[in-house]
Amino acid sequence: MKMKKQLSLLLATALVATVAMTGCGGRGTSETKETEAVTTTEETTTEETTTAEPEKGFAADATIGVSLPWLGTQNWKEADEMFKTQLEAAGFKAIVQAADNKVPQQQQQIESMIQNGVKVIVVGPVDGTQLGSVLEEAAAAGIAVIGYDRLLENTTGVDGVVQFGSVKTGELQGQALLDGLAKVKGEGPYNIELFGGGPADPNAPNFFKGAMSVLQPKIDDGTLVVVSGQTDFTQCATPDWDNSKAQARMDSLLSGFYSDKEIHGVLSPNDGIARAIITASEQAGQEIPVVSGLDAENESVQWVWSGRQYSTVAKPTDALVSKTIEIIKSLQAGNGMPAPDTNVNNGKKDVGVFELPPVVVTKENAKEIFANDPGRLDLLK
Amino acid sequence: MEHPLILQMQGITKVFPGVRALDDVTLKVRRGDIHAICGENGAGKSTLMKVLSGVYPHGTYEGQIIYNGSEIAFKNIKESEKAGIAIIHQELTMIPELSITENIFLGNEVVKHGLIDWDTARHLTVDLLLKVGLTIDPGTLIKHLGVGQQQLVEIAKALSKNVKLLILDEPTSALNEADSANLLNLMRELKKRDITCIMISHKLNEIAAISDAVTVIRDGRTVDTYDVEAGRVDEDRIIRAMVGRSIENRYPEHTSHPGEIIFEVSDWCVEDPQIAGRLVCKHSNFNVRAGEIVGFAGLMGAGRTELMRSIFGHNYGIYLGGTVKIKGKEVHMNSVASAIKHGLAYVPEDRKSLGLNLIDSIRTTIVSANLKAIKRGSLLDPDKEFQAADKYRHSLNIKTPNVDTGVNTLSGGNQQKVVLGKWMFTEPDVLILDEPTRGIDVGAKYEIYRLIHALADQGKAVILVSSELPELLGMADRIYTIFEGSISGELNCSEANQEKLMRVMTNTSVAESNQERAEL
Amino acid sequence: MKYIKQVLGGELRQYTMVIALAALIIIFNITSGGRMITPSNFQNLLSGNAYVLVLAIGMLMVIVIGQIDLAVGSVAGFSGMVMALVARDLGFPWWLAVIVSLTIGLLAGAWQGFWVAKLGIPGFITTLGGMMIFRGGVIWISKSISVPAPTELKWFGAGYLPEWGPVFTGMNNSTLLLGIIAIAAYVYGQLRRRKRTAKLTGTTEPFWPVIARIILVGGIIAFFTWIFGTGRPGTSFPVPGLILVILVIIYHIITERTQFGRHIYAVGGNKSAAALSGVNVQKTYFFTMLNMSFLAALAGIMFVGRSTAAGPSDGTGWELDAIASVFIGGAAVSGGIGTVLNTMVGGMVMAVLNSGLMLMGVGADRTQVIKGLVLLAAVAFDVYNKAHGRRSIIGAIFPEKESKQSEGKPADSREK
Repeated sequence: MKMKKQLSLLLATALVATVAMTGCGGRGTSETKETEAVTTTEETTTEETTTAEPEKGFAADATIGVSLPWLGTQNWKEADEMFKTQLEAAGFKAIVQAADNKVPQQQQQIESMIQNGVKVIVVGPVDGTQLGSVLEEAAAAGIAVIGYDRLLENTTGVDGVVQFGSVKTGELQGQALLDGLAKVKGEGPYNIELFGGGPADPNAPNFFKGAMSVLQPKIDDGTLVVVSGQTDFTQCATPDWDNSKAQARMDSLLSGFYSDKEIHGVLSPNDGIARAIITASEQAGQEIPVVSGLDAENESVQWVWSGRQYSTVAKPTDALVSKTIEIIKSLQAGNGMPAPDTNVNNGKKDVGVFELPPVVVTKENAKEIFANDPGRLDLLK
Repeated sequence: MEHPLILQMQGITKVFPGVRALDDVTLKVRRGDIHAICGENGAGKSTLMKVLSGVYPHGTYEGQIIYNGSEIAFKNIKESEKAGIAIIHQELTMIPELSITENIFLGNEVVKHGLIDWDTARHLTVDLLLKVGLTIDPGTLIKHLGVGQQQLVEIAKALSKNVKLLILDEPTSALNEADSANLLNLMRELKKRDITCIMISHKLNEIAAISDAVTVIRDGRTVDTYDVEAGRVDEDRIIRAMVGRSIENRYPEHTSHPGEIIFEVSDWCVEDPQIAGRLVCKHSNFNVRAGEIVGFAGLMGAGRTELMRSIFGHNYGIYLGGTVKIKGKEVHMNSVASAIKHGLAYVPEDRKSLGLNLIDSIRTTIVSANLKAIKRGSLLDPDKEFQAADKYRHSLNIKTPNVDTGVNTLSGGNQQKVVLGKWMFTEPDVLILDEPTRGIDVGAKYEIYRLIHALADQGKAVILVSSELPELLGMADRIYTIFEGSISGELNCSEANQEKLMRVMTNTSVAESNQERAEL
Repeated sequence: MKYIKQVLGGELRQYTMVIALAALIIIFNITSGGRMITPSNFQNLLSGNAYVLVLAIGMLMVIVIGQIDLAVGSVAGFSGMVMALVARDLGFPWWLAVIVSLTIGLLAGAWQGFWVAKLGIPGFITTLGGMMIFRGGVIWISKSISVPAPTELKWFGAGYLPEWGPVFTGMNNSTLLLGIIAIAAYVYGQLRRRKRTAKLTGTTEPFWPVIARIILVGGIIAFFTWIFGTGRPGTSFPVPGLILVILVIIYHIITERTQFGRHIYAVGGNKSAAALSGVNVQKTYFFTMLNMSFLAALAGIMFVGRSTAAGPSDGTGWELDAIASVFIGGAAVSGGIGTVLNTMVGGMVMAVLNSGLMLMGVGADRTQVIKGLVLLAAVAFDVYNKAHGRRSIIGAIFPEKESKQSEGKPADSREK
């Protein structure tokens, strides 16, 4: 019968192909492993005992994996593009993937990068605490792991973190809010509200802590009045950094506490949330309060320029990406990790942190700051 | 040129898988007449009307329909409606959550500039309602209307489509006396407006009251058709025509040997689960002996199935009172599982929706009511399952190569055998068979009759609920009749005949007195 | 054709998805340059998807009874978070934390089962409510901050079996042992089945199809043993995979060989007929929903173990992955149809797609699109089959009629 033959042929081909390919595949990988193993096995052992610092370097055209949390905000989209272009410009092959803000997806992406034989994985984590076992797997495979923009906690599988000083960022946000209030709203006391970032992001509490270190003394002496009384981070946090949730919270704050009061200022952890706050205030018929921000997103740069949003904080993504690539190059050349600015305990080990300074942007200094950023400079018109 | 006949259906034959529902039926209806069609349940009346109204599109039946002088070939209901044929179904088809206006113009909305013109629709509705004798707000929701009023709204809906030929399928079956009278009056009114009506009914008094002509259908064939002389219908002639088939050799020879009374139901009362206060079983008393076959006769909706299902572990309705004794001992069966444990089995009337899981195989179906019997340890044993299923495949002569066949691929008769096998596997003492031969061809029927006899010979008490009087007469040793929830009579088979049965089942005078008794 | 049928037994349709899965793996292995079929990737496939497949087992049963459970992700997240919290804040040892977490799962299931079974609220509504309740619960109790989990749990979520015994085997001996047990069990099962079929039907199946089956299946098991056993030293068949396999065996038996399993299919196939056969429909609903949430808690624990911390957004969207696995595995939306094994194949199709596309460097955006299309295609194929008398995909590709006409022209057949 024809059908039988066709089917058996199909099955046989499938089986033979499976065996053949798996044979090749299996052997293939073990071979590549052998060649790589020269560099990696030793590392593995050292990594397991000390901190992971590949000392022998790797090929100049090796593959580098970059796993970003998502592409939903401008800074991550920029990072995505910059990593692709700059890694390739530096001669590496790049795998840049984003995880749609889902932890399991990021775990699988990192695993597939390991599978793809990358030498370094740069991780902007969705949740810095939940990548423990996959990062340790990476470390065991001799891969260097660099945290990007957020701390990687609760794991031994991390070699260094590149980020903007998050407490420092918070301090800048708080100070900008104070300055703005004095400049725009005249004499105090000022009615303000506080917003925090996504609680799953380890930076968010630090931003808040930094800002509060500046604001708390002023709250205590009565210059600032938090009308709602919500000053705890968990009360102020915005789950998932979701703008719409921030806007909903602002709406209810305004209708609940400000029906007969004016709101003067709002601490906002980033630009998206800042715009949500401003929109909510306008819709409630309030005069636009002084609002801080972060990330210097295009729309917010325009808003700062037009005076709707008082300030934002630029964490120039290119600086962060360049710093990361600088570290990767150092690893490639076999020079190991450069000396970190500071060490932070992530719950399992002390991690070297490379901190970059962020910059406050207001209408006054915007042109100056973006002088080298034609895209944003364009917006200031 | 006005043709005296508005409708001529000739040689209509409609075949369903396994069943010849209509076989060369002829129907001639004069313009302006009220034409009654009668026949037993399942005789093919509704099928014929579905053929006429396009529910079964042209091409799925054989034969010729001439309407208003020309041959027609409807593809769907929409086309027949356009031609002025409207059908009022037994089950009302209106949407309870919508208003009268919305229902009347559903699918036929009054549209102006792309939007529904509700004002016009409302005015039209008021006029239509007046025509059917209703003076209620057209904005009333259907669910707030009584059944009788709903029926009138249905007719108003038909009128809105400029109906020429109105088909009413058992229009009074759900109505009380006053509403029925009202409806019959309306039909006379419609007649004056030159609207032809075809009425399907078993109620001989109604047929006598208003019809101009009668056609009797039996087993998918036209058996009699004649004009009614003003107000006088020969009821005997209709009854004979409805039931008059030869019953010789349709039922296997059998002598039963009834033993002790092993199943006894007394004072059984059940309330309708939907309508509070309405009793579907009114103080029913009956008993069955071991080895005896007891028939239950009654019209559709009389409450036979409801009675049986409520006894079978309170599977239907709200139990109000009554006792069941099995082998002299009073038992309480609050669930189907307990009823099965007490040796009851119930083969439901609607095989496809209640008797079978159609996606199952024969093998899993047969053991499904008695999984305990195929257990070994705490797991089901596929070998025991296979043995059980295979045993019934052989003994019941289920025509299939193996027991892994899906039940959906079987014919009606074989499906019913599977259901019977499933219940025989529970080894019951009392078997309730609700319409066990419905939709089954003659050959399979004969096999099932033999099975029933065999069960009785094994000393089981068999209750046979059937709408086919010859079947009851041919099979049962004793027959109870049910009318509107009450047991209205008990006849020994030797003294019963079809005419007698039909009278007890339909005779309103008996029924009314029963009803009064029940209400006292 | 006949011979293959004799080897595989019964309908070939049930192997459609298995063949599709094998084809996917092979195709991805080619396109990714041999990175698909490697020990570590297969280990990742199991570790990274075990929790979704555990959910899919429960979801299959829920879908078979004709319901749906949208709350599984939230329940998983909630139970995982409770476990992490009681371990960290109350100092519970890890095993007690696990028990607490599973108990939470059972309670959540009892809650859902109560609404569905006793009050007759549709599962969709009940669990939509549950989804919000338990998601809110996670955020509430965690204050929306991730909580590190006891380190012992990592073994459940990403652990490997111990290394022991002789070195000459060249592979992980735990894995080797598992493989040998599996093959032995299969051989024993086959021989026993042949004997019993002979006893029951009186016809003895010839030996060759049995041998062919044993060689085929044994070969596959041996291959997987080899793949899993020869990974990086210290790795083996992953622990979450082992948990999954054990659960699959248990639930396969529950659904196929117990009264409760029969009741599930009966209720899903025709609720009224099941009730008239003495099945307690409410009880069946209740325990199916209860079981679902129990498995959700287990999945939550496995995920937390792998992640080393419980996060506030754990479980988001998992219900959809589980539901997709069940439907790709051939379950019917209307209930009554579907098996645990096919669901696992459905889940693996999704997992392999994910993994393969990632290995190829396809972004999450396009991966989603492709997964969506696969889901639609699989279900459409099923619906088409049902409408056209259950032809298998093989039947669809090589229609019987044609094959009869062109009999004796094997050259043609090779081209197809």
